[in-house]
Amino acid sequence: MILQMNNIQKQFDGLEVLKDISFGVDSGEVVSIIGPSGSGKSTLLRCATFLETIDGGEIQYMGEKAVHTDESGRTVYVNQKELRRFRSYYGLVFQQFNLFPHYSILRNLIDAPMVTQHRSREEATETAMDLLTKMGIADKADAYPFQLSGGQQQRVAIARALAMKPEILFFDEPTSALDPELTGEVLKVIRQLAEENMTMVVVTHEMAFAKAVSNRVLFMAGGVVVEQGTPEQVFDNPQEERTKQFLRVFER
Amino acid sequence: MTLETMIITMSSGMLEAIKIFTLTLAGALPFGMVIALLKKSRFFVIRAIVSAYISVIRGTPLMLQLLAWYFGPYYLFGFNIGNWRFPALIMGFICNYSAYFAEIYRGGIESIPVGQYEAAEVLGYTPAQTFNRIILPQVIKRIMPAVTNEIITLVKDTSLAFSLAYAEVFSLAKQISASQASFTPFVIAGTFYFVANYVVEFILKRIEKSMDYYK
Ligand SMILES: Nc1ncnc2c1ncn2[C@@H]1O[C@H](COP(=O)(O)OP(=O)(O)O)[C@@H](O)[C@H]1O
Ligand SMILES: [Mg+2]
Repeated sequence: MILQMNNIQKQFDGLEVLKDISFGVDSGEVVSIIGPSGSGKSTLLRCATFLETIDGGEIQYMGEKAVHTDESGRTVYVNQKELRRFRSYYGLVFQQFNLFPHYSILRNLIDAPMVTQHRSREEATETAMDLLTKMGIADKADAYPFQLSGGQQQRVAIARALAMKPEILFFDEPTSALDPELTGEVLKVIRQLAEENMTMVVVTHEMAFAKAVSNRVLFMAGGVVVEQGTPEQVFDNPQEERTKQFLRVFER
Repeated sequence: MTLETMIITMSSGMLEAIKIFTLTLAGALPFGMVIALLKKSRFFVIRAIVSAYISVIRGTPLMLQLLAWYFGPYYLFGFNIGNWRFPALIMGFICNYSAYFAEIYRGGIESIPVGQYEAAEVLGYTPAQTFNRIILPQVIKRIMPAVTNEIITLVKDTSLAFSLAYAEVFSLAKQISASQASFTPFVIAGTFYFVANYVVEFILKRIEKSMDYYK
């Protein structure tokens, strides 16, 4: 298991947003998370990436505990330095890209590997240029984020996450901020990564895409995983009424 | 007194004004950042002290603050104010301008989207690296227009040193004008402030422009 989350609980001022969620991701797996807005999908990714602290449960990367709830019911994280080591296991692609506007595209890709992973400039640059080539934007290396379209910016964001050589990549609605005609180019690179067996967890509203690339689909609603299974199981033969209801909206 | 003599007599005052200006910036630009960061402290007491400091500074005239710095130690502790004039002046200016810079910095820091912090955190930057490499450069770009305004005000505010009878341009202009029964010294002083501001603005605009490469 690359990632294992057990009995995750999260509240926002009394509101239970994640209710005892457990799920794991194996190496090479692509897991899609679907569900209505407000169901806790982003919160789950934010807990997995330590942007939010959990109120209860356990998170492991590569079999190592980053946080757990002890016998007395206290939820304990490893210290900040250890957490930063855990961060090198994963990357996160945001809905809003969050590129660094004052850095060129190349610098966006090489700064963190050089500063936080102490890689040499040569190595970081080589990795970065390979990734930009793969994303089809090598000619933009010296441009700045504001000069790129949304689809190009999101591909840079994916490349920036990959430049850290993570074991697993999380996507939170990577195409939701894009104009419809630009979603295709971003979905294409994610699909390409899936073909290369990159381990990924993708929160998405693109059902056709989820069906095509995932090994497993999780349907979340109201802070719980209502149903999960292969794309065929969840999309073609859902068992739960809530899943059927949700999918009907998309079929129209 | 010829025009030339007047200018030469006043040039020492011009140097003093430049000295006040430079030392104030050298102190207030960094000290303002310290205050801005303290105002975001986790501890309520620190935040409260800093807030009170900023409101007092902003709510009272700079001239009064300069007088307080100069006479305060004498009245409070019987401190000999012999060589205290210049240090008092600089302390007064730095403390005043720090408060204004702090508010500008704070506004700039708060204007940076939280997504920038989150992206940096996930990429493994430490909080200090995030601030220095990701946040601060963007803050500097955003606050340059406000900082420029403040610096231009400072050029003119150096004339307030006359309230401690410190021999800068304006004090000298007043003295010479009285002794020579002439308005010319004030024209010279005005020209000095205008030219100094022109140069300062030119330099700051260049700095602003140098950050135009991104939005
Ligand atoms: N920082 C927060 N503070 C308070 N409530 C939040 C916060 N983040 C999310 N929530 C609430 O948690 C619930 C789940 O949100 P989210 O995880 O963003 O759902 P999804 O991504 O599935 O749309 C929503 O009701 C949302 O309002
Ligand atoms: Mg969301």
